[in-house]
Amino acid sequence: MSFLPLRSRALPDGETIFVNDSGRFFLGADGFVGRLIDGAETEGDRISLRAGGHLIEDADSLAFAAHRRAVARRIAPAAPLDYLILVPTLRCNLDCSYCQVSRVNIDRAGFDWSEETLAAVLATIDGLACDRLKIEFQGGEPTLRPDLLRAVMEKAERFAQRQFVICSNLQHIDDELLAIFDRPDVFISTSLDGDEVTHGRHRTKDAETTSAFFRNLRFIVDRYGPSKVSALPTINAATPPAADDLIDAYVAYGMDSIFLRPINYQGFARKRHKQAREQDEAWRSYYEGFIHRLIARNWADQDRVLEETYFSIGLRRIFQPGRERHVDLRNPNPMGYDYIVVDHDGAVYPTDEARMLARSGVIDLSIGTIEMGWDSEARELLNSHATNQFDPACMRCVYQPYCGRDPIDDLARYGRIDMPRHDTAFCRRHMHLFDLIFRLLYTDCEKVRYSLAQWLRLPSIPDSFGEVMA
Amino acid sequence: MIPLLLSAEAEADAPFVTRLRATGTSMHSADASLVESDALGATFAGKSGLFAIDGATADDLDGDVVLVRPQAGRVERLLRSGSPHNTLLVTERCDQLCVMCSQPPKKTHDDRFDLLEQACLLAEPDTLIGISGGEPTLYKDQLLGMVERVLTARPDLRFHILTNAQHFDADDISRLRASLYRQVSWGIPLYAAEPALHDEIVGKRGAFAQLEEGFAHLIMAGARVELRTVLVTPNHHALPDLARYVAARLQFVEAWSIMQLENIGFAKGRWSNLYVDHRADFRPIGMALTLATLHNVRAQLFNFPRCTVPADFRKYAIASISDWKRKFASACEACREQSQCSGFFEWHPDDHAETCVEPL
Ligand code: SF4
Ligand code: SF4
Repeated sequence: MSFLPLRSRALPDGETIFVNDSGRFFLGADGFVGRLIDGAETEGDRISLRAGGHLIEDADSLAFAAHRRAVARRIAPAAPLDYLILVPTLRCNLDCSYCQVSRVNIDRAGFDWSEETLAAVLATIDGLACDRLKIEFQGGEPTLRPDLLRAVMEKAERFAQRQFVICSNLQHIDDELLAIFDRPDVFISTSLDGDEVTHGRHRTKDAETTSAFFRNLRFIVDRYGPSKVSALPTINAATPPAADDLIDAYVAYGMDSIFLRPINYQGFARKRHKQAREQDEAWRSYYEGFIHRLIARNWADQDRVLEETYFSIGLRRIFQPGRERHVDLRNPNPMGYDYIVVDHDGAVYPTDEARMLARSGVIDLSIGTIEMGWDSEARELLNSHATNQFDPACMRCVYQPYCGRDPIDDLARYGRIDMPRHDTAFCRRHMHLFDLIFRLLYTDCEKVRYSLAQWLRLPSIPDSFGEVMA
Repeated sequence: MIPLLLSAEAEADAPFVTRLRATGTSMHSADASLVESDALGATFAGKSGLFAIDGATADDLDGDVVLVRPQAGRVERLLRSGSPHNTLLVTERCDQLCVMCSQPPKKTHDDRFDLLEQACLLAEPDTLIGISGGEPTLYKDQLLGMVERVLTARPDLRFHILTNAQHFDADDISRLRASLYRQVSWGIPLYAAEPALHDEIVGKRGAFAQLEEGFAHLIMAGARVELRTVLVTPNHHALPDLARYVAARLQFVEAWSIMQLENIGFAKGRWSNLYVDHRADFRPIGMALTLATLHNVRAQLFNFPRCTVPADFRKYAIASISDWKRKFASACEACREQSQCSGFFEWHPDDHAETCVEPL
């Protein structure tokens, strides 16, 4: 008989969560934990462990095969390039205090794609071997250059499955832009920090600019329906809006997914918000309170399912690896392969954060240029540190099968990638997220279980989300 | 119901495979072209001589790949033109005896692999060809040989092979890893997570243990598997446990089909003992679907008319019944979901079908 390498972690309220390398888990109560430590498991314990795939007996070739396959499934393969984040211009008609992208004023010259850069982007699209394509236009404000958007879209016409996401501040909409928005393959992503006061505080500032944004958002939602638009709030952990106010702002526009991003200070934001380098305890309790508000509201109004995007990503990674593709949380986290960022000057970055770091002068993480290619030494170097598989802390962590790795975030915060894992904001954030998820998974409350089932897209509430060993 | 077996007369003595051409000129030396036809039948001529088919018009038969058996006076429509549902029966022998078997096995084996292989090679482009039995892997070497030769010559084709998966061994792993097996999926029945219950349903002691070995080999071969569970009274309440078992040990399957019973074969005589009225107690089925979905197993319901399934689970109920053996109740005319609905098997009792539908 042989045990699997089970890892364990005591949850804040006393029980112990056990996870094996394939990500299958169960909750052990004190009695079971004691028997396990003493090597005194009962035959009943063994039967349950075996059924759950946690105990593999030598003769059980199916258990071995299933386990090996499940472990392999946890390792994300790098797919061919099929996702481009394009920055056709760095110019912007707003000046948000936490601007992530180090924008430049609208009238500056030399911050748009050159003819050569455009040609190289189009040639890259021509050369793609995938059959589906996603393109996200970032900025700056990409709608300042509708001609470039159109040129790219026309080039991508050959992909039967294609999606264009235009990240816009929705300050200004005209007929030319509407003609682009009218395309069914175009989606709009914008920022929405809360009600008009909150939104205006860091972004639109004066009343007229603020109301122009809300007018345009309303217009877009009315014209196309809420599935056309998604929005992201940026939350200042020092002064977060009341959870319900934020939720109300989203619900008012028919949007059910809210991605609660803590501000990741980079670029200009780094200079203006020095005090908040780390997410602190306050942020975590705000986040938890927010999730509980979503749960309560989902229960009260079962006609809509509100969700926090990152919570759902974490939750689904526990049960459904590989079901969806998230470049935000995965392991390994291949950089510069399946998606790239092409900046206004043609430089290629592995992620948008990497682009911001370069712009703010912290470190140049470009891996090449769209003209000359990006199969570079810099890319190899980044990728050799883009996994949690061999990190000494992660190797002992129950959450490793679900967690990821983000060396760019480490560089942004600490200027190095070899921090002890537990001392990183990335680790603390994910430790907290998964602790929270597991506490909820083992909650008896029907309201909690209802939301979990909805977030997991289940047709009904399961008897249980995981086994308990008493 | 579309007849698959017709009576025929032929000049030749030995059985032969040919493709019927009612129009135009023959493209292939194995084609037979139309000589004359009327409302009752059609006469064709090919390299095996003249033959006449009764009971279908030249239009119906155009493009079909058929097996003509002169001695029996029969023609079998092996691959019907334009139909997505074509199944070749490779043997009627089986080493199980399932309580609900829709096609009770026979002791004798009539070896037709050569003829079936010829038929496959004549299939329309991109056809999915089903293979069933009996137990096809009782003749594993012939079966795999046929599949490999056909897919080498015709990489556009795909096979779906029903098997009890008890005849694979470790030596097959490297063979099944060949890339052409990406075109093959295996439909494998499993009725319960409890070995004794599974063995009882399939009428073979030790079947469960052997099946687990087979699954282990198929996982290691990277094989594509569709798991199949026929719903019968004995496993109805054991479905949630089976779902947990599938999640823990068989998460590799591409799909898990939970199938409502067919009123044919052994099930016909045992209907009242075996048939589960899922409208009366859907809970175990629903829980199985929920647990499977939770754990990333793509579950689906076969042969469940959509209106008989609770709305939250309706998306799992797919149009699973082959066109040639499917019927609808008269009220179904008015239903908006008929095109997504399985309907009923041709042999399903009419009085039941007529009374249980509620058009959506
Ligand atoms: S980063 Fe932290 S939470 Fe994530 S696997 Fe590593 S140790 Fe665990
Ligand atoms: S009414 Fe007929 S077609 Fe409609 S769901 Fe019921 S069985 Fe299917």
